[in-house]
Amino acid sequence: MPKYIRRSLFSLPIEDPRLGEKSYAAWADAIILDFVKQPGRDWQQDLKSRMPAAIHEAAKGGAEVFVRINSDASAAELESTVFCGISGVVLKGVNGPGDINNASQCLDVLEKSRGITGGSLEIDVEVNTAAGVWNSLEIARASQRFGTFTVNEHELCRNLGMFPGPVLEFEPLEYIKSQLITVATSVGGQAQGMSYPLSLTQENAGDEEFGKAVRRARDTGFKGAVCPHASWIKVCNEGFRPSSEEVSYYLKVREVFAEGLKRGMASVPIDGKMIDVPVDLRARLYLEWADRAQARDAEKAQAHEKPAA
Amino acid sequence: MNNRVARCSMFVTPTNPRFIDKAWTRGGDVYILDIEDSIAPAEKERCRSLIRESIPKANQGGASIYVRVNKPFVDADLPCSVWPGVDRIMLPKTESAAEMRHAHEIISRLEKERGVPAGTIELSPMIESALGAVNIHEILTATPRKIWSMGGGGGYDMAVNLGIEMFANFDQYAFPVAYVALAAMALGIEATGGVFVHNASGRVDQSEQAVKQAVALHAAGIHHAGALHPAFVQPLVSGLSPAQDEISWADGVIEEYDKLTDAGESIGMLATKVIDKYEYDMAERTLDWAAACAAKDKYKARALSRADTGIAPGPGETRP
Repeated sequence: MPKYIRRSLFSLPIEDPRLGEKSYAAWADAIILDFVKQPGRDWQQDLKSRMPAAIHEAAKGGAEVFVRINSDASAAELESTVFCGISGVVLKGVNGPGDINNASQCLDVLEKSRGITGGSLEIDVEVNTAAGVWNSLEIARASQRFGTFTVNEHELCRNLGMFPGPVLEFEPLEYIKSQLITVATSVGGQAQGMSYPLSLTQENAGDEEFGKAVRRARDTGFKGAVCPHASWIKVCNEGFRPSSEEVSYYLKVREVFAEGLKRGMASVPIDGKMIDVPVDLRARLYLEWADRAQARDAEKAQAHEKPAA
Repeated sequence: MNNRVARCSMFVTPTNPRFIDKAWTRGGDVYILDIEDSIAPAEKERCRSLIRESIPKANQGGASIYVRVNKPFVDADLPCSVWPGVDRIMLPKTESAAEMRHAHEIISRLEKERGVPAGTIELSPMIESALGAVNIHEILTATPRKIWSMGGGGGYDMAVNLGIEMFANFDQYAFPVAYVALAAMALGIEATGGVFVHNASGRVDQSEQAVKQAVALHAAGIHHAGALHPAFVQPLVSGLSPAQDEISWADGVIEEYDKLTDAGESIGMLATKVIDKYEYDMAERTLDWAAACAAKDKYKARALSRADTGIAPGPGETRP
């Protein structure tokens, strides 16, 4: 079950003058802050002066806030962007465990110097290379800070030499997605991604079509997705959690299984499906997941009781 | 003892006399006496006490006997499970080499105490979590115990661990199942299951689903599968055996290729197909598997006949 209720992650640039307003209106579970190194200026100083306010703005709708960092320049970028209020960083271009170790050591120092609880900042990994996939287990095991894998399909396709168009009738990255989900889960983390072809086209396909894509992504094992448009967020928030029908079904499973146990049976049928210990366990975990998602929605609703500006 | 042929392994609950008394008539290659998830917590102790007497009941049709123990109660379950007549211990939810070594040590001691030839009881990990899947190679190499076949990386428990709803119309375990199967094959262990066959209903009692599963597995060169319901037994046993036309074709390939090599050639034709070393190797595999299945079927037939007539097994008779 998900470690984090992080169904929708929405990227926004810190330069956006309407950052606070957009974050507030998005209702995303997490905001990922991107930045551009302004030419002709001391980009580090520039970022340092802007980040605290940007983090504050991004958190206005009750979202967790992350900053996206390039792993090949992680020390300088972390030093310029890590301040109180972020939940962690999204590390892009990770090819091996060394990238995680380096970032983790930087975070150790920054947490100490900037009044952030030691070890609290998460490192999420955006996978966009074959090396990142191949080394995924070592990457996930490199630091206790590891939280999630996110599949950047456009860049991964480019790295693999694959045509990034929606021309296939099958999911071309099925094995890779399954690998990243399995590896992340094996260390207690989770993975975020979308199903093909919307993972590549990133279109606004309409709520019904997009709902099916989210369902497939959830059935693959993803626990959320990075949303290229605000229009994806609502469907992701509703889709990456047990539906009301599932909640009703699992309540019934728990009830029928408990009755079976009273009769000394640990395997009872519901409509031809076998209900046994692991199914009952899944029912319990799904109901907990639904409760946590509901609680997360309540947190965001509370944040929205305050005005955006 | 040779447990290579396990075309259909079916779970049986020792605490239910209706199941245990009738299982052997179904014709399965393997019956798994379950102490784990099909047994209610309050029934575990009674189940343990029934394992020894369940072995001769379940194997009277010539099937191999496995016992599935509980991961948290392995120390209590193994002494009730390691008996003459048991072919394999199944260790559920295995996630580390240490768990395998621990079970191996207990089984070794019990084999010695109970007159079971040392090292003959197989120890099979069941991979039912992401952690187990990524650690598969160290798990499979943790002990010297031989296993003929194994699979995993999917199923209910893996679904719980991955937080997914089963029975979607695509392969939800693409990586873990393939990774586990590849690790097994790399170590000379035949893979069990591992081919995705859509099951929209999620039902486990429909024989047409078993037929579809057998066709897909057979095409992938996999000979072993599990079942939760008797309706799966016969479709799997017959569907995972080589068909007569496959055996005839393989015989023809061997004969033709032998003639080619005698003539100093390496490529020829049989009917409209090219014959080469690849086809020859495939034909050998088909005939090898056919011989193993035939031996198992003959053994099962004799066992069934004895069970019907009430004649006791011959002294020292070994299964194929």
